[in-house]
Amino acid sequence: MHITATTVAFVVLAVTAVLSGLGVILFRNAVYSALSLILNLFSLALFFLLLNALFIAVVQVLIYTGAIMVLFLFVVTMLAPDAQDTEQRDPIRWQKGVAAGLGVILAGGLSYLLFNTVLSPAARASAGDSLSKTVDKFGSIQAFGMGLFHGFLFPFEVTSVLLVVAILGALVLGRRASRD
Amino acid sequence: MPPDQPTGYLIVSAVLFTIGVVGVLVRRNPLIIFMSIELMLNAVNLSFMTFARYLDSVDGWIFVFLVLTVAAAEVVVGLAIIVSIFRTRRNIDIDELDSMRG
Repeated sequence: MHITATTVAFVVLAVTAVLSGLGVILFRNAVYSALSLILNLFSLALFFLLLNALFIAVVQVLIYTGAIMVLFLFVVTMLAPDAQDTEQRDPIRWQKGVAAGLGVILAGGLSYLLFNTVLSPAARASAGDSLSKTVDKFGSIQAFGMGLFHGFLFPFEVTSVLLVVAILGALVLGRRASRD
Repeated sequence: MPPDQPTGYLIVSAVLFTIGVVGVLVRRNPLIIFMSIELMLNAVNLSFMTFARYLDSVDGWIFVFLVLTVAAAEVVVGLAIIVSIFRTRRNIDIDELDSMRG
């Protein structure tokens, strides 16, 4: 296997993603965890670029590392002073070891499954409209738009209802209880 | 590995998902549990994108787009719930939140 630029980019991104993912669960300070998660989401956006999905990569950066993580950092800095010292004592002492063991088993099982899986030509043939043809012809954003507004129009419309419900829920939960 | 078979991407996705699972199991701070859930969602997104690329179909992109939307809604409501718990109890350790225990 000769080394190509794609391979180098893949390895660097994979290491960055895994290390920043570990950072999310290992940092004591929740602010560092949030920053680590931002790095992780950004490296996933670059993975999406490697997979030829320009639009999804941009959306990932805008929505996740932009909007969602700003919300996270806001809440973390608002609640952080009390959140720090609660993790010092440990009511269930064996919990971390057992969780790490179960995690290793899960990762091993998934990896075993993946190493023994090869995408069959039949699966490729049965997948509907040919993405690469559309991307070559129109570009990635047009391919996405064609898929979204032809095959998936109804789920897309339902999404707007979901967002309205989420806004209303956040308003109701975030409001200070007035008099009662 | 990347150009021929999707195994590399899927392994990264599996490792990230496992990190998220361990984070949910180990941490007591609900904010970090939330971040671990985001990590799992994104690991699955990476799988979707990989299969979209290697099965040559645009459906995976649409799924990722919808997952992004649902994750945004979930984070907004979840953080609002955490903030309102913090307002009433001044403490967000999930081991302390056992007032509904039967």
